[in-house]
Amino acid sequence: MTPPAWLGYGWLEPHFIGWMLQGAALTAWLALLVCMLATLLGVLLAAGHEQRWRSVRLAVRTLLSLHRNTPLMVQLLLWYFGVAGLLPEAAMLWLNAPHEVTLAGWTLAWPSFEFVAALVALSLYSAAFVAEEIRAGIRSVALGQRAAALALGMTPRQVFLHIVLPQALRVVRRPLLGQYLGVIKNTSLTMAIGVAELSYSSRQVESETLLTFQAFAVATLLYLLLVLGAQLAGGRVRPTLGEGR
Amino acid sequence: MKLKLTLALLLAATSTSALADRLDDIKKAGVLRVAAFDSNPPFGFLDAQSRQISGLDVDVARHIAGKIGVKLELVPTNPANRIPLLVSGKADLIAANFTVTPDRAKQVDFSLPYFASGQQFISRKGTLATPAQLAGLRVGADKGTTQEITLREKYPATKVVSYDDTPLAFAALRNGNVTAITQDGSKLAALLANAPDKDKYEIAPFTLTREFQAIGLPKGEARLVKVVNEVLLGLEKNGEAKKIYDHWFGPGTKAPLPRDFRIGDKA
Repeated sequence: MTPPAWLGYGWLEPHFIGWMLQGAALTAWLALLVCMLATLLGVLLAAGHEQRWRSVRLAVRTLLSLHRNTPLMVQLLLWYFGVAGLLPEAAMLWLNAPHEVTLAGWTLAWPSFEFVAALVALSLYSAAFVAEEIRAGIRSVALGQRAAALALGMTPRQVFLHIVLPQALRVVRRPLLGQYLGVIKNTSLTMAIGVAELSYSSRQVESETLLTFQAFAVATLLYLLLVLGAQLAGGRVRPTLGEGR
Repeated sequence: MKLKLTLALLLAATSTSALADRLDDIKKAGVLRVAAFDSNPPFGFLDAQSRQISGLDVDVARHIAGKIGVKLELVPTNPANRIPLLVSGKADLIAANFTVTPDRAKQVDFSLPYFASGQQFISRKGTLATPAQLAGLRVGADKGTTQEITLREKYPATKVVSYDDTPLAFAALRNGNVTAITQDGSKLAALLANAPDKDKYEIAPFTLTREFQAIGLPKGEARLVKVVNEVLLGLEKNGEAKKIYDHWFGPGTKAPLPRDFRIGDKA
């Protein structure tokens, strides 16, 4: 069946669809790793910010501010082209050479340097936002709650784990999910440093076939599937106290 | 009646201007307007000292204007604006490292080629000598360029990593992220000329493709094309073409590139 004229000439060839799916798989994998790293880092940063020590608070504040107030694109370029260039030449060449890493019986391929740079930049950037959201959640729990729990004889640790955290999680669940969906979309910027994710593959298909509409339409569709899938999965996770009514 | 007369006059006026020849227009105006790059050394760039656009393309354009006997006026342009400037009549010629392609030939006419280049590579000294060595290498290319596509189609075993522009690809090469980068030979020579650590790198001694650069002219201006071609052939005959080339690409320059094409060679 010939497609209508407004779709352009010809439809995507099978091997281009293959590229797009490979790109989508890389996007999903990168986003997953970034979400996990960002959550871990974000919790640590949020905890650091709630510390009594001024120097720790100041350090965390600086880190958060650096990542929240500068464009992600610039951070990506800084890590990939900038920081990498500062390393000694031997270290750079070793990092970029293909190795195999054996970990507990599993042989893993050494990731390409652009993947590592993307992972670092995206994780730090997302962690800053995750940290602020977790902080907002913790702050949203009324101080009276802590006072009451302490008066009942709970230790500060118990107060945090059993009183503050469950309530905070309920508050931050939705904004945090939004943050994770944002991570999936932000991975498209890593195209600038040569990570062959979904935007990159759509750009390649476009430049080789000149099927502009088709290439970007398929990319849009695949992004939509990824984000909707993540949304659905995220919607199933309920913190202990359940949805607020 | 009066209206009819005006209309007839108007019609006559438009038809004569349509018949007018661009070469006559240029002579009458006393100015040849040439679209040239202002930031693509050594083809066309703003010279820091003279604050004028200069370069290889400009030198060729100056000879054309001189032969017609008019003043040269340079219209600064970039890759995207070249054809629109010419088609809209804001420039008479394009002399801006303008590669001959069948697609472009639908919109503009081309003179004889006066420069040829091809897809070449920069790598660390001694790492790339033959095209066969490309297999298995990570090679940086510019996004959306013909070089990227050629490499992917003809060398499937090469891992192509695409960047937004050549300086970024070169940064990736210097960082060791890729083993080589690919672009047009003349562009690579210019890029390498400005690198602080250029001694570590070299242009690999082979060319994958051949591309020809020519003067772009408005469609259907046969007399203008003829004059431009005569000038170009004349430049080759009296040795001026070689002089211009050596001034920008000769052995003593910052970006030496051997001259392997002569005006009038079979394109």
